[in-house]
Amino acid sequence: MITMNKVSKHYGSFQVLTDCTTQVHKGEVIVVCGPSGSGKSTLIKCVNGLEPFQSGEIIVNGVSVGDPKTNLSKLRSTVGMVFQNFELFPHMSIIDNLAIAQTKVLARTQEQAREKGFKLLDRVGLRAQAEKYPGQLSGGQQQRVAIARALAMDPICMLFDEPTSALDPEMVNEVLDVMTELAQEGMTMMCVTHEMGFAKRVASRVIFMDQGRIVEDDSKEAFFDHARSERAQQFLAKILHH
Amino acid sequence: MHEFDWSSIPNALPFLWDGMKISLEITLSAVVFGIVWGTLLALMRLSSVTPLSWFAAAYVNLFRAIPLVMVLLWFFLIVPHLLESLFGFPRGSDMRLSSAIAGFALFEAAYYSEIIRAGIQSVPKGQMGAASALGMTYGQAMRLVVLPQAFRNMVPLLLTQGIILFQDTSLVYVSALADFFGAAYKVGDRDGRLVELLLFAGAVYFVICFTASRIVRHYQNKLKTA
Amino acid sequence: MGYNWNWGIFLQPTATGDGTYLGWMFYGFKVTIALSLSAWFIALVLGAVVGILRTVPNKWLSGFATAYVEVFRNIPLLVQLFLWYFVMPELLPENLGNAFKQSNPIVQQFLSSMVCLALFTSARVAEQVRSGINSLPPGQKNAGLAMGFTLSQTYRYVLLPMAVRLIVPPLTSEFLNIFKNSAVCSTIGLLELAAQGRQLVDYTAQPYESFIAVTLAYLLINVVVMFGMRWVEEQVRVPGYIGGK
Repeated sequence: MITMNKVSKHYGSFQVLTDCTTQVHKGEVIVVCGPSGSGKSTLIKCVNGLEPFQSGEIIVNGVSVGDPKTNLSKLRSTVGMVFQNFELFPHMSIIDNLAIAQTKVLARTQEQAREKGFKLLDRVGLRAQAEKYPGQLSGGQQQRVAIARALAMDPICMLFDEPTSALDPEMVNEVLDVMTELAQEGMTMMCVTHEMGFAKRVASRVIFMDQGRIVEDDSKEAFFDHARSERAQQFLAKILHH
Repeated sequence: MHEFDWSSIPNALPFLWDGMKISLEITLSAVVFGIVWGTLLALMRLSSVTPLSWFAAAYVNLFRAIPLVMVLLWFFLIVPHLLESLFGFPRGSDMRLSSAIAGFALFEAAYYSEIIRAGIQSVPKGQMGAASALGMTYGQAMRLVVLPQAFRNMVPLLLTQGIILFQDTSLVYVSALADFFGAAYKVGDRDGRLVELLLFAGAVYFVICFTASRIVRHYQNKLKTA
Repeated sequence: MGYNWNWGIFLQPTATGDGTYLGWMFYGFKVTIALSLSAWFIALVLGAVVGILRTVPNKWLSGFATAYVEVFRNIPLLVQLFLWYFVMPELLPENLGNAFKQSNPIVQQFLSSMVCLALFTSARVAEQVRSGINSLPPGQKNAGLAMGFTLSQTYRYVLLPMAVRLIVPPLTSEFLNIFKNSAVCSTIGLLELAAQGRQLVDYTAQPYESFIAVTLAYLLINVVVMFGMRWVEEQVRVPGYIGGK
């Protein structure tokens, strides 16, 4: 579903990504982890073209992301993305947040879009909040809405960019529960996250990044039980002690 | 289409330079007086003495509500009469330059005081607390701790306001005072070359103000990274 | 101090016999309002366009917008006004320039003033629009794009609606400025409020009354605009949203 081949990116002389190669197959859940500044957020943003890259290629569902002829908007409408800071649109009610792209991008009618929106809000347990505004919801609720908003586009896969790192600790689980459920239903997912419990529960594979390179790309069992690189071992030791 | 003839400009340069000196004189004196008076107004506005803060608020809001042209007209047409009748100044003495400076200073002080007030309020409250904890009086804390930090942050805004003030000095045209713009207009009118002189004046103002604002921005960026 | 106050002056017939002095004032008041509102409308439209252009990822467009703003910000308003009034007609193609010069002087003064104030203010509005857009969290643009919006849809549905709300307070002060700046147009002979005040001084020998009246009229405009804009601010307030960042 997603194929990356030797993707490299630099800002001026600063190398952000170096020769990143991996595949995500349909139904797989990939967890991307690594120390801050290792390029994991940049990597995931390259998948839907929010970050341009200078060499290599990324193919999503048969479409090349780096090809200037590619209609990026169309591609992005098929790939759901959830951001660290939720990025709900503050001037729209919750239901309008879910409906807007359905009507303007997918050309669904307002009724279809709202119906679908309500169904998804039901699913993330926020039907009652439909007419409120993002600023009136807690962080955890906002992030669940953001997931529902991405799902409303019927994406073929979902990208999560540190979806729980801006949340207060007591709200992390409500978001992880939604993500776990989604994974169990067979959604193809690529998640940048430090939640190793989540990775152990649902990940098919774990990618470990350091200094812009993919250092480990292995099944979760292999990664957690005997990570090969020293840096991954150090990283795990730091994270799992808490 | 108009046929350009720039020949009257070279000969007029000394006269134009005299005008520029007047523009700069008004600007500089108004900036200095405006900042001093503006600082006092800001301190009054923030003080806990109610009459003082009301006075400052009324002053600032009044001057910010009326056009500069009106303020200048007050100072050119009315204030001299007032002074004549109050202090017995000789009738018809030329007070236009001092009127202009006074008008600009009092007007700009209202704007400066708002910049300075915001600057003082941008200094974290803890600083005043820390200074008091060290045994400083309110005055000492303000003078030694708060104001120096506030001014450091405000310098770019104060300078930008100075550039606006320099542009606004052209409005002394309403009193027929020969500042740079007035001089350019007079030369253009005299030689029938108004088009050229106005374009020249516009270009000179643009070069000066554009350069000055670039310098301010450079300084601002340096402040940010420091 | 030996000054004879006479507030009744406003109700006396004018020296030229066309109504009362109060009528003059009211005429000036109407000119100020008409001039400021029409210029404001143009300034909003132009300023929005230029401000948006300053934020788009295209060197030529944003460069053009930057130059536009710099030109109108770095030349004094009075000089700009004289350029529009005295210089522009000379630089226009001959038939257009002549048509302008042969039109009614009041029309000439009004048009020059309107264009001048509109463009001068549009540069300032553009700066507010730009800083409004730039003050939005950068993730908002990405979120819009990630949902499949094109860049222009992202501006239309995501960035601009919030930016507009953020810039209502700074726009209030620009709106007030345009009324104040309109007084500069008295210098080319347009009989707006300040010019009428000055004329009254010449005709009536009651300078205090006329200047106080004109000053009060400006204060009145100020108060009305402030309340009006506060009302607008309340209308566009987003529930639960606390300020910009």
